[in-house]
Amino acid sequence: MSEPRDERPELPEELRALGRFMNGPDGVGETMAERVLAQIIAEQVPASAVGPPGPRERARRTVRWARQRWRLLTAALCGVAAVVVLTPQVRAAVYDWFGFGGIEIHYAPSTSPAPAPDAQDRGCGAPLAMDEAVVKAGFRPLVPAELGSPDSIAVTYAPGDRPVVSLCWRKDDRMIRLDEFPARLDIGFTTTVSDPPDQVSVGRESGLWFAQERRASFQLLDGRGQRWHQAQPTAGPALLWSHGAHLTLRLEGVASEGRALKIARSTDDRGGSL
Amino acid sequence: MEVGRVVDEGAVIARVRAGEPEAYAELVRAFTGIALRAAKALGAGADAEDVVQQSFFKAYRSLGRFKDGSAFKPWLLKIVANETRNTVRTAGRQRSVAGREAAMVEAEPLIPESADPAVAAVEVERRAELLAALDLLTEEHRLVVVHRYLLEMDEAETAQALGWPRGTVKSRLNRALRKLGQLLPAGHTTSRVPAPRPGKGGARHERASR
Repeated sequence: MSEPRDERPELPEELRALGRFMNGPDGVGETMAERVLAQIIAEQVPASAVGPPGPRERARRTVRWARQRWRLLTAALCGVAAVVVLTPQVRAAVYDWFGFGGIEIHYAPSTSPAPAPDAQDRGCGAPLAMDEAVVKAGFRPLVPAELGSPDSIAVTYAPGDRPVVSLCWRKDDRMIRLDEFPARLDIGFTTTVSDPPDQVSVGRESGLWFAQERRASFQLLDGRGQRWHQAQPTAGPALLWSHGAHLTLRLEGVASEGRALKIARSTDDRGGSL
Repeated sequence: MEVGRVVDEGAVIARVRAGEPEAYAELVRAFTGIALRAAKALGAGADAEDVVQQSFFKAYRSLGRFKDGSAFKPWLLKIVANETRNTVRTAGRQRSVAGREAAMVEAEPLIPESADPAVAAVEVERRAELLAALDLLTEEHRLVVVHRYLLEMDEAETAQALGWPRGTVKSRLNRALRKLGQLLPAGHTTSRVPAPRPGKGGARHERASR
């Protein structure tokens, strides 16, 4: 590219040097990527608003559904959570994720084919009696009639003493696990998953069916955004749904959507008083 | 001169459109440097990072209108330029030579410690002079100089970013450079590392070192 003739022939090069000086420091792109993705999520821009009609329509439905279902969730909470939660995850090349209440799960692409759906034994290793669990957790967990009494019950705590009750059943050499969180589902996050979950009905409630098997890990957040991390080596397909305004449930270890829904619906008339 | 990481823009944009918003991070990483440069060069000052974040966000939202096969950079920088203009206007702030000079001085730690402090001081002053002269140009002239040189875009990219015909870019650039040369202080040196010399250069050196 020829330079214009000028009495100051080196002026263009000086201007280029000035421009280079205005770049941010190295690594500023990383930070910016986090900020931008956090904003995309916080403002609930559908991932596929720019995509072909199919996914776009699906994302739109997700957003519409989310807004109807969880419109009470404050925008402020959503924004804060998105920024606090997403930042380290983008750096870790998070594949996609969703969250509920102050609790978030993120997914990374599986490096090898996932084994047959089998919820891991994590958290169910130190069984409690139901009454003990109720005292520890401060609420009575729902028990799906379809599965009957759990083989083990465990209570763990997120920061801020937020309890998580896990019920486990061993069926045909597979582990079925139901985590119950006394928290609201924050659906805003689901609008960005690359493979949006199916929206399902669980009685009068709405739910999400995540068909894919992935590697996953838990992140839990307290009110101040402090993180508590729990490794979760494998998660099969999972059903996530809410029960009333104060309880969120997550079922894993059931391969079939129909079976998972049947189990979920069978929780409706059993216990669960908070 | 590199102005960002090499990224297969077309492939990344296709992934984002296919519903993989995380892929957008690659574009952000690759173009943050140049976008910040544009925002600062166009007068965003301390708001440069916010302007760039907002620009990337707007670009994401309108990625559906991005024309396949065209270059992402000029398209993005057009958004950055608009966003910068809106931010400056909204805040009711004028482009301030004093503020820009202050920003240049603040940025001094970027100069390697090994650099001769006297040379560094002269460079800081020269940057301030260039910015001050740029501020005196008309908006059209300033835009063309910023895009073509500070942002290191070629004529075609400049034309695309500014929405002008290439002939217009060329003629305005010529006029802008001539004007800029006239606006710079007499005796302004154009060598990258000025040789120590008596007279005006030395006086400036002393002034800057105090």
